[in-house]
Amino acid sequence: MGKEKIMRLNFGPVHPAMHGVLKVILDVKGDTVIKAQTEIGFLHRASEKIAEMRYFSNYYPIMDKLDYVSALNMEILYASVVEKAANIEIPPRAVYIRTIMAEIQRIMSHLIFIGSFGEDIGNMTGFIWALRERELLMNIVEKVSGGRLAPMYICNGGMFYDFPQGIEEEILKVLSVIENKVNHEYNAMFTKNQIFLSRTKGIGIITTDMIKKYGITGPIARASGINRDLRKVSPYLAYDKVDFDIPTEKEGDTYSRFVVRIREVLESIKIIRQCIKDLPAGPYKTVVPWIIRIPKKDTLVKQESPRGEMGVFLVTDGSDKPYRLKLRSPTFFAIHALQELLVNIKIADIFVIVASIDPVMGEVDR
Amino acid sequence: MISNYIYSFVSKFVFSPLSYIISFIIIAILAVMVTALIPLFIGWVDRKYAARIESRYGPVYVGPFGLLQNFADLTKMLGKRFIATNIDWFSFNFTPIALATSSFAMLLIIPLGGPGLEFISIPYSLLFIYTLLAISPLLLLVAGWGENNKYALIGGFRGAAQIISYELALIVVLSSVALLSGSYSINSIVSNQSSIWYIAYLPVTMIVFIIAGLAIIEREPFDVPEASQELQAGWKIEYSGIRYGLFLIGDYVKVTVIAMLVTYLFLGGWNGPFIPGILWFIIKTAIVLMIILTPRWVLGRPRIDQLIKFGWNWLLPLAVLNLILVELLVVL
Repeated sequence: MGKEKIMRLNFGPVHPAMHGVLKVILDVKGDTVIKAQTEIGFLHRASEKIAEMRYFSNYYPIMDKLDYVSALNMEILYASVVEKAANIEIPPRAVYIRTIMAEIQRIMSHLIFIGSFGEDIGNMTGFIWALRERELLMNIVEKVSGGRLAPMYICNGGMFYDFPQGIEEEILKVLSVIENKVNHEYNAMFTKNQIFLSRTKGIGIITTDMIKKYGITGPIARASGINRDLRKVSPYLAYDKVDFDIPTEKEGDTYSRFVVRIREVLESIKIIRQCIKDLPAGPYKTVVPWIIRIPKKDTLVKQESPRGEMGVFLVTDGSDKPYRLKLRSPTFFAIHALQELLVNIKIADIFVIVASIDPVMGEVDR
Repeated sequence: MISNYIYSFVSKFVFSPLSYIISFIIIAILAVMVTALIPLFIGWVDRKYAARIESRYGPVYVGPFGLLQNFADLTKMLGKRFIATNIDWFSFNFTPIALATSSFAMLLIIPLGGPGLEFISIPYSLLFIYTLLAISPLLLLVAGWGENNKYALIGGFRGAAQIISYELALIVVLSSVALLSGSYSINSIVSNQSSIWYIAYLPVTMIVFIIAGLAIIEREPFDVPEASQELQAGWKIEYSGIRYGLFLIGDYVKVTVIAMLVTYLFLGGWNGPFIPGILWFIIKTAIVLMIILTPRWVLGRPRIDQLIKFGWNWLLPLAVLNLILVELLVVL
């Protein structure tokens, strides 16, 4: 063997298998990665600055496009921060509808994760199956709100429309289909598949120290043994009135991150069933004017998005527009752990580890 | 032999030297048609089958049940512009032709469902087919190097490493079958199985053969060299148009050949009671083909080090062990 040469590989931002426009610069020796460097910012759209030029009611479409895989969670988060700042009380029916929609969106987001994770291992069928189940929920979101990917359903004081008639039975029917598929087909395809296990177990281990060092939250932290979920720690919406568990794993490898999300899907199904059972009648929104003025104050709201703790810090100065809006996005912190994770691994494992972080670049770059 | 039938048929009407030329032309046309139609049909089967697994429809619009979809795709590929830049011209253009030729040659040598139903009959047909299969690592390296692309180079080296670690197991398996029947000719191997199929003697060897065969032809789950996620089709990355189409057809030819070989070597080929031999052959090959096509859609892709470890640690020892058992069987 002669002198071993180091090859520099650019994965992304246009690499077809990369999640969004993340760029990873790798130094590769043979088939082994020896150094990795992440580069973000390719999808920067100045979302925080746009907020300063818009009325409080006009920022929802931008929130939709931040984390476009879980748009409803983003809308609910922004609605919560505006309502907290302006002291708007929303009726109990709106609280429950928001909880149901947030959990439907969480299932959809996790299905995308399950599919793309399987696809990165080379299992195209898993991807298409996951999208097939997501389509059922997409149809429900379409019936409820009129939109699919960016629904624009939530507004200040509640939501634009009430639930259409008979949607509860339809949601329950779809949920039982998804529960059945997750319990049987996905187990056969993923968690009982030897090749899948050998590819995911023991790689990309995130330790508890790394979680604290980088400030990682959400399913990634829960896969590393940190039992922290804002839905339990500081309940918002109707989460203190329903009974559910927080799935945690100890290993912190890519497999446990996958299993945590699979089990979160089942927990979300549990939450939606309870919410539909307790769904109160009454008004679905508090009528508030389109243009509202919020007095000078600072407001912080953090909620559990499918990717972790998403926060909005709102500074108002008494006008009809925010003085400053700061977004705290969970995968922005997790992305930086990649530089430590993507070392001394084979090239084939890069995408398994990146997919297990489940990054959505719209939310990272903002 | 097909050529003998056609020659004797033509010579009834035309005198000697001209009849030879005419029958040669007829055979050539027939060979091109058969070798082109079989992979396209198998490609349709694969697409339809995969679509059913994935809850899709697959091709429906072109022809009945979408049967002609692959013809439409190939026609489209013929019209594509040549876009690759900074390539090594000779190795880039030589590889698809060589790979497709070596694949099509297999279909000329292998019997197509009956005794003597082959275009070229040679006494060592099994060995020759193995040789044609074993050419590919060299071609992968040449293609990966000629494309002047990092992903292609990594893919080419992976392909060479993978095929070298699995073709040893394949030749050991073929040798144990040849040892049992005493011949390297597929015709005589099949006729030796008229009383009992070799799967009764060599069940493990058949599984080893299927796995090693899948690895040699880079069918999923062994498609590490062209891993479409991390390497973006690996050594095929710069190819487009009809050059890529030739790779695709070559892949389907190889899948067909592996399914046929399993039928001939272990399942008795065209031997079977009650119905004609060719029907037996088609039924057996279809079942084997379905078994071979399934893993692609239900399994993931192992890592390259796991794959090579599996080949050397499990497959080769199993194959050698079976060879020793067969030797004992033959001697005793």
